[in-house]
This record gives sequence, C-alpha cells and structure tokens, in this order.
Amino acid sequence: MRLYSASSEETLRARRLLKDWAGDGILTQAQYQRLERETVSELRTTNVFLRLILFLFTLIGVGGATALFFVTSRPSEHTSGVFFLIFAAICYVAAEAVASQARLYRYGIEEALAVCSGIFLCVGMQLALFSGRPYSPKPDEVQSFVPAAGVIFSLWIWRRFGLWYAFLAAMIFTMVLPGYWTSSHSAQHVTIALLYAIGLILVATVRPRHRFDYLADAYSLVEAFLWLGIYLAMNLQLSWLNLREQWLGIHTATAAEFAPPFYWTTWVLIWGLPPLVLARGIRQKDRFVIAAGAIVAILTLVSNKPYLGWPRHTWDPMLLGILLSGIALFVRRWLDRGPGGIRHGFTAARLSGKDKEWMNTGSVVLGLVAPQSITAGQQKRSADFEFGGGTSGGGGASGKF
Amino acid sequence: MTIIARLEHWREHGAISPEQQIHLAGLCRGEPFSLFLELNILLYAGVLTFVAGLGWTVTTWSQQIGDVVVLAVLSAILGACFWYCFSRAPVWSAAETTAPSSILDYVLYLGSLVWCIELAYLENRLHVLSGQGDLYLLATTVFFFFLAYRFDNRFVLSLALSSLAGWFGLTISHWPSHQDAAYRQYALLYCVLVGVGGLLLQRRGLKAHFFGTYLNIVANVLFWALLSGVFDRQTYGLWFLALLIACGASLAWGLTRLQFAFVAYAAVYGYIGVSSMLLRSVTDDTAVLSYFVVTAIAMLVLLVQIARRFGRPA
Repeated sequence: MRLYSASSEETLRARRLLKDWAGDGILTQAQYQRLERETVSELRTTNVFLRLILFLFTLIGVGGATALFFVTSRPSEHTSGVFFLIFAAICYVAAEAVASQARLYRYGIEEALAVCSGIFLCVGMQLALFSGRPYSPKPDEVQSFVPAAGVIFSLWIWRRFGLWYAFLAAMIFTMVLPGYWTSSHSAQHVTIALLYAIGLILVATVRPRHRFDYLADAYSLVEAFLWLGIYLAMNLQLSWLNLREQWLGIHTATAAEFAPPFYWTTWVLIWGLPPLVLARGIRQKDRFVIAAGAIVAILTLVSNKPYLGWPRHTWDPMLLGILLSGIALFVRRWLDRGPGGIRHGFTAARLSGKDKEWMNTGSVVLGLVAPQSITAGQQKRSADFEFGGGTSGGGGASGKF
Repeated sequence: MTIIARLEHWREHGAISPEQQIHLAGLCRGEPFSLFLELNILLYAGVLTFVAGLGWTVTTWSQQIGDVVVLAVLSAILGACFWYCFSRAPVWSAAETTAPSSILDYVLYLGSLVWCIELAYLENRLHVLSGQGDLYLLATTVFFFFLAYRFDNRFVLSLALSSLAGWFGLTISHWPSHQDAAYRQYALLYCVLVGVGGLLLQRRGLKAHFFGTYLNIVANVLFWALLSGVFDRQTYGLWFLALLIACGASLAWGLTRLQFAFVAYAAVYGYIGVSSMLLRSVTDDTAVLSYFVVTAIAMLVLLVQIARRFGRPA
C-alpha cells in the first residue's frame, strides 16, 4: 500500500540518525563515513528549504496550467467539473510516477502533485455532481459525498505517500461532514468526536507493531492530532464549528443553545481529557502525544472561565504564565535531583544536538515575532489612556501599544 | 531492518563498540527520554503569557492602581530579573557559552520584555522623554545588544535587532512625506548597519555564532526593501538591478555555504520581482498564465539541478 518499501524508509531513517549521532559526537567521523556507506538508499531526498520551494513552484505550475486551460476553453460548470476530475487523475498519476520512477521522497514535487490531485478531485466532484443546485440551509446528505471523498482520498495520500499533512486534511474534511447530516450542533460535535475516536482506536491498535520502526513518528503525530481533534470537538468554547460560523457571519451556536446535560458533560470532558492524554503520552514516552496533552491542558485553563460564564480578568494571563513557568521549573528540578538526573526514565537534560538547533531557530523567530504579538491589540479597555507608539525595544516595533 | 537491529548488526561487525550500541539503542528506545525541548517551550510560553498579562493589566488598571505602584512593581520585577542574571552569569567569553541553567535565558528574556513595558509606560504616562520616543528606543537597542552579548542570548539579540528596526521606522515616521521611498532607504541603511556590524563582530570572534541570525534578518529586510522598490512604477530600474544582484549573492552564498535558506530567498524573492517586472504591462490572462506555467517549469528544472548537486537533506 505504501509507495516506498519499508527497507528504503528504514535506511533513510538510519542515515538521518547517523548524521545526528555524528553531529553529537557519539560516533567518530570514521565510523560515520563507514556506516553511511552501508546505508545507501535509492530514494532521492532534499533539504527542507529546497523541498518547500519545489513544492511552491510545482503548485504555481500546475495551478497556472489548469487556469490556462479553463481561461482558453471556458467550459460550462458541469463540464469544468469533469475536467477537474481529469486533472485530478493526471496529477495523481504524475505524483505516483515521479515518486516511483524518479524515486523522489519528500521532494516537494510529488507532494504538490498529490495535494493538487486532492483539491481538483473535490472541486471536480462538487462542480460535476452538484453545480446549479440551489443553496439550502438544511442539511443535505447527498452533498456530503464530496467531503467524504476528500476524507478517503486524503487518508489514501497519507498512507501511500506518508505525508502527515494529508492526515490533517482528512481530519478537516471530517469536521465538515456532520454539517451535511444534521443541523443539531450537539449532534455535530458528538459525531466529529466519535469519528476521531474511531480513528484513535484504529491507530492505537496498529501502533504497538511499529514502536521502534520508521512509522513510529508518523503514528505518534497522527495520534496527537486525533487527541487534539477530539478535544476541540468537545470544547464548545473553542470549537471549530463556532469559529467557522462566526467567520462566515451566519448563525452562531451559543452555550445557551446546548442542552445543559450536554454542555456540562463537555465541560467535564475538557477537564478529563488533558490528564488522560498526558498520562498516555508519558507512559508511551511519546513526544507528540505529550505535546498534545500539554496543549489541551492549556486550552482547558484558557476556556474554563467562558465555559462557566465567569468574566475574564486582565491578570489571568499572568497567572497562567506563572503556572506554566512554575510547572516547567518544578519538573526540571525534580528530574535533575534524580540519580544521574533521571527519574522513571525521564531526564531534563539535552540528549540531542537537534534540540539545540530547534531552540536556536525558535529563539530567533519567536524573539522577532512574539513581542509584537504580545503588545498588539491587547490593551483596549482603557478609554482615556493609550500607550502610543508601542515601539519599545522590539516590544512592538510598530503600532499602538 | 529496524534501527535497533542495525545497531546490533553494526556491533557484531565491529563498526561500533558495545558501549556505543547500548547507548544508541537506549536513545532510540527513549531510555532515558529527554524533556529538554518541552520544558523550554513551557518556560518560554510561561514568560510570554505572563508579560502579556502584565502589559494588559498595567494598561487597563494604571489609573486605578496609580503610577507609583505600577512603576514600583515593574521596577521590582526588572530589578529581580537582572539581579538574578548578573549574579548567576558565568564569566564572559567571546566564544559561544552555555548558561549555567537554562532558566537564566528566560529570566533575562522576562527582564527585557518588562523593560519594554516600563519604558513605554514612563514615556506614555509621564512623558519623561517629551515625545522623543526614538531616543529611548535607541537606548533600549543598545541595552539589548549589551545583554545579548553579555549573556549569549539569541532571544534578546532578536529583540535588539527588532528594536533597531523599530528605531529606524520611528525616526522616519516623523518625516512628513515620501514615506515609502524614505522607508526603503532606511531599510537599506538598516541592512548595511546590521550586516556590516554582524560581519565585523564575527571577524573579531565576538559571539561569531550570532552571525547567522544577523544574516537571515538582513537578507529578509533587504529583499523586502528591494521588492518594494521594484513594485514602484516610477523608479524601479535601479531597484530591479539591485534585486538581481542580491539574488545572485544570496544564491552564491547559499550554495557555497550549503545554507539553503538563502537559495530559497533568492528563488522566491527573485521570482516575485522578475514576474512583477515582466507582467506589469501584460493584461492578457492567457499570456499571464502561460508565463506562470513556463517559468514555474523552468524554476523546477533549475531547482532540481541544484537539489541534485548540492541539496543534501538538512
């Protein structure tokens, strides 16, 4: 089912690890060179920057060619749909071809072609099957065919090409589905959460077989996404359904519209999920699931007051900041005081040079971005007092404070 | 063959020692499992959230609380942060140094952000500098550069660089007209100042590892400035020439140093600039779309060649 053989992907993984270990000084240069010769892969890879621009220019090329076709031929909506389906097939075949013949692996080109095939498939199906249908605010099960196809195709791309964002696309399509089946917001939330939960059970069943192989990270990421998805579907204050409707300017479901038992059940769930996710992540020593657990825990703290109908205070972020820093410091000290700086198999020490690289890159990017995001638009409640300029020390090089 | 099996195989064939095999197999199994990155992110998020709340609270409640209390609290936090940093900092070295504890980096960052809030408060509430905001911004920039170099802290270096950019922007905002052109020139001046400054410091061996940060920021500001000049319908000629030269330089630097971010800058910014020039008088949709198809394919061919020759995974 996967486009690349397990041995090829394992070899690539081994090469990456060898490079990291040599960079960290665990392997000597001579060892690294010898082992690198033993881990030659036929797959062609490139670095992240070239991958990104190859992706971008493939999108421009495919998008331009498609647009050119429609500008010159100007077909009807229905015919356009058929042509989009043909383009989807062409893009998919091209993606398969460059991946299997040219052996491109995470190279940008095959990824962009696969993404284009997914987009064209959905647009094509919508135009070919449902063009000219009058808009109806009522749910229409038949139209759910398009997002359902989006889910299936995205999952196929994820499985076939191993592209993590295809799984994310499948989750987004899944969020749209219940809107076609029912107008009840409660039912929509429950359906989305159930669909994600089914996915989670399937992933949790498969994962143990891939504990230490090349698929371990992929399944870990998918599980983290699914936990996040379940949480977001259950948190009525943060729900994507609400955000989408607010953005579209159409009817928005407020907390008062949900039945009290449902509303309070979700409140219990948003408090129950974070410890569950964190516990699973820690037990499995799973980085992505731990991150998902931390994120949902913070989201619960942030959304608790709106849930209870309590007013927010300006000092709430300060308390949250103190709590987060306090937890980080406590855990670090607790781990450091263990024998050899290790407790229960965990350490706060840096074991990989990659961590430092991430920190360095993150510190530059966040150092530039974060002060502006702190200072912009936060202070708006004082009527007669305004921090003008807000240009202090990068703490907002522009704009009002 | 999984990596665990490979390690066993390599040990049997004498490619790695038994100790290395045990150590590396442990790393692969997450034994021990490092929470270094997660704890750092949590600390960073904590500092940022705290400062956001502090700024919000100060702005909202300053009149009720009173200036004296606000300034006393801010000064106390500031003093505590800098006391902590200076009392625990290792002896200064021109080379890259590791902080005695990673908490120090975040306390310094907290102090720097609180400094921003306090200065902004002083200026806007008490008008200490009588509207000369650019002066305190310049002073802040100098102070942040000092802190960044004293404590080897990239967070604060980024603050210093964005403060300097803010100072250029604020200075020029006093000017009555020709804003765009003047901003562009000041952006170039900023690039020259930061680029040359970074280069000199690197040559002198003063925290040479900061040079990458300088270079990335300079490259992006420079390309934005040049692109804005190319978009100008009156005086685009020289800007376009400068853009081509900058793209060439960025490409050469990226390929010789194997820093592919610079190849990406050259490709993306260059493509936008050249496309803007070539398409500015073209109104026919077919011609425009044909251009995108042909040039995208040309770029792909070129980039694939580059990727084959230079583009190892990073």
